[in-house]
Amino acid sequence: MRAFAEWLSGTGPSVAIQSTFWLIRLLQATHLLTAGVVTASGVLVALRVLGWHRTAQPFAAVWRRFAPWLAWGVALMVATGIAQTLGDPVREFTATSFWLKMVVLLAAVTGTLGIARAGQRVPPATDFPVAAKVMAAGLIICWLVLPLLGRMIAYDRAIWGSFSLRS
Amino acid sequence: MSARSFLELVQGSAVAEWMRYSGAAPVVESTHVVAAVMLFGTVLVVDLRLLGVADSGHAFTGISRQTLPLTWLAFAVAVITGWLMFTASAVAYFGNTAFRLKALALCGAGLNMALFHLVTARRVPAWDQGVPMPRAARIAGFVSALLWASVVLLGRWIGFTKGYDFTIPPGVELGFGP
Repeated sequence: MRAFAEWLSGTGPSVAIQSTFWLIRLLQATHLLTAGVVTASGVLVALRVLGWHRTAQPFAAVWRRFAPWLAWGVALMVATGIAQTLGDPVREFTATSFWLKMVVLLAAVTGTLGIARAGQRVPPATDFPVAAKVMAAGLIICWLVLPLLGRMIAYDRAIWGSFSLRS
Repeated sequence: MSARSFLELVQGSAVAEWMRYSGAAPVVESTHVVAAVMLFGTVLVVDLRLLGVADSGHAFTGISRQTLPLTWLAFAVAVITGWLMFTASAVAYFGNTAFRLKALALCGAGLNMALFHLVTARRVPAWDQGVPMPRAARIAGFVSALLWASVVLLGRWIGFTKGYDFTIPPGVELGFGP
């Protein structure tokens, strides 16, 4: 993986990103602000499943409200995330936090889509089943852990010690 | 007590020492990022309602009442973790331009919120369900989104301009340290 990352860091697009100071800052800023939109949207949808947010609104309405923000937000985060990874592949690919973040991202997105699909079938005034609530609680953790792991990439060795891929 | 003495006192505290040497700093900083992200995201939900961009079919008070507890929770975590980070290197933070601008943006956001609650929100029954919202409400929403985005971005900017300096500045006598 390190060899691949080192090769990638020498390619034209990677060098272009590395050498454009403002582009790296712009990518990070966009990624961070979009994380706010995505995290809050994901958490609020899950809170609705738990019955702790917007209980007066049917789940379908809450999903319609947040789904576009989630979809566009995740798309923008993936795009800026790929560009940032391309700009410093060794730092990203050798971080345990990075790979954990990818796994949690996949879990958060598929879990939210799954719960949204199930939620469409729940009658408006009905409480969600316990299994769905447990899943929603897990999704809240996933959405909150994503920015946590994102920031932890910078401190991989300090946080993961011998479990860090940077060791 | 001068500002410098206060900063040195903060930087010399047991909490600051813990932040510098315990290895907790990366976890505290990462938690601060999570809180900041949640804070901005939930504030934006309310701001977008004020702007009439989202949740237009729902009462502003309902959206605000259900969302703001999360905002306050995130704010509390951000303040605690932010303070912990500040103690580790208070003198350097205070002298950092990005930090000062962030503090200014925070004050601006607080002032904007106070003005909104003291003036515009007093007439909320008249426009609670309304779209478009009154101009004052839309301005408050726009300014809030702008200022909180600035707070988040300036917070990130501190890292670019300062990084973590856990060394004790020359001339500061803390009475402990390596």
